[in-house]
Amino acid sequence: MMRSGLSIYESGDAALRVTAATGDRELDWRLVHELARHVNGTVIPGILGCIPTYDALLIEFDPVETSHDLLEPFLEHVIADLDPTANPFREAKEFAVPVLYGGEMGPDLADVAAQQGLTPDAVIELHQAHPYLIRCLGAPGGSPMADGPAFPLPVSRLASPRVSVPQGAVAVAGRQATIAPAPAPGGWALLGRTPLRMMNLEREPLVPYQPGDRLTFHSISEREFDVLLGTEMKALND
Amino acid sequence: MTDALTIRVGGSAVVTDLGRTRGSQFGLPVNGALDQYSARVANILVGNRSADPLIEIIALDLEFVTSVDILFAVTGATMSVFVNEVSQPQWEPVSARAGDVIALRDMSSGLRTYLAVHGSFDVPFLLGSCAPDTVVGFGTRLTSGTKLAVNQEVAPISNPYFDAALYNLHVQRPPLGDIVRIDITDGPDRADFGLTGGRLFAGPYTVGANSNHIGLRLSGALPERQSCGELLSRGVPVGAIEAPPGNELLVLHRGRGVTAGYPVLAVVTTTSLNLLAQVRPGQQLAFRRVEVARATELARIQRDSLAALNARVRNVFISLGAKNVINRNLIGTTRALL
Repeated sequence: MMRSGLSIYESGDAALRVTAATGDRELDWRLVHELARHVNGTVIPGILGCIPTYDALLIEFDPVETSHDLLEPFLEHVIADLDPTANPFREAKEFAVPVLYGGEMGPDLADVAAQQGLTPDAVIELHQAHPYLIRCLGAPGGSPMADGPAFPLPVSRLASPRVSVPQGAVAVAGRQATIAPAPAPGGWALLGRTPLRMMNLEREPLVPYQPGDRLTFHSISEREFDVLLGTEMKALND
Repeated sequence: MTDALTIRVGGSAVVTDLGRTRGSQFGLPVNGALDQYSARVANILVGNRSADPLIEIIALDLEFVTSVDILFAVTGATMSVFVNEVSQPQWEPVSARAGDVIALRDMSSGLRTYLAVHGSFDVPFLLGSCAPDTVVGFGTRLTSGTKLAVNQEVAPISNPYFDAALYNLHVQRPPLGDIVRIDITDGPDRADFGLTGGRLFAGPYTVGANSNHIGLRLSGALPERQSCGELLSRGVPVGAIEAPPGNELLVLHRGRGVTAGYPVLAVVTTTSLNLLAQVRPGQQLAFRRVEVARATELARIQRDSLAALNARVRNVFISLGAKNVINRNLIGTTRALL
């Protein structure tokens, strides 16, 4: 463990993991993203990519071009110089996400309500209560990963994951929340679905949001869902 | 009309490359050829750059007709290779003339065969790679009738010294079949499994039928997580070994989602990931623990062997008077490009 609360772990011959445990979750999150920004902004032969998440950063590299022996001293140096007050994110963009809750679109709404000891309406209300800060982009395909709603309990993952979860699925698990930009297998509980098209392979970046941006959810009717289906997701303050 | 290969039989083949390394920052898996060694060899044998698009064939036959003279090479899983029904060698460059029918049949060991054509193919790219991504729905899949544009014609190459064998490159082939030995290093969350982590080495595992490019599912002795709290999603490396709820061990490969909420018990080494790409459902494998320094050394030895092969292939093409085959991008190349 280094002065800043960051630690480096080997993750095989082609990756390493840096974790932050400062005791301040917000700081942990900013530090791993700030570190990723530094690594991405420096030309280091052999580094293939960075995956910053909530409290960890995975750095992938080509073991022929570089190695743990070379990278760890470099990272220790960068970490020692990290500014804990730095903001690694752009000026936050806001996204309003329409959701059709329950029924076919949110097949786990009733189960989540039962597990939490709440009514389905109370689950929806909590799900919409606060804006969601996007913590990182994750699987599948650029999912905006956020802290979960203020439910009384962590949400159980499904005992048997679904073979395919549709594009736009609005999901929660543990203390996390997300939306699936692409259809994929998944073990998270589905509360509803947004009709918005989040991912566009024709342009870069593929998704309009980044870590540090915010999402808010609001309810829509089936008819509104049909009207909005396929509309491209855009920031309110673009 | 563009010179092209026209697919006549395309059971389960795609155009791929070494993967989408720029994807991880956007939450996309790297994907690309699962057996990177065999894919690199195929491209080297035809004078391409290692990262050029090539065909990956899974299990089933492939047959195509070419409208132009081509130089191609087949590596990876063992198949019977024919040009107009005349048997051809694998792991060597092969010439075919315009109008010829090329067939790859009856895969007998291994699971993934690679076919590279000199000049490579003109296919769509996403974030710098043509590798298919089944989750976001990107990629070039080869089915009956697909036309694949070839970027460069190559006149047939023959040996001026009567009928002596043309190449004899003696490429090192990966071991296929029997119980495959897979090298792994300790993962960052090894401690979460306590003593049960040692079960990985207790005996062979059997590869499950629901294994694919995302991950292999193995049955055998299961390590058990000793901690229990919800884990936040974290980036997971290709090769990560996890023990999710259920009765199978999960070994992630290049199609894996970039984040997951399970502890990483161990990680398959770079060189053993290539072997894992060739293991069939029902086959057995056994893990061997190695240090990261040893795994790194093995990765470098393998890449050095590719650089040496590249040099041999250049010399052979020069001696055969086929200078046009030598990719000018490869002259003065470093092993970084291979």
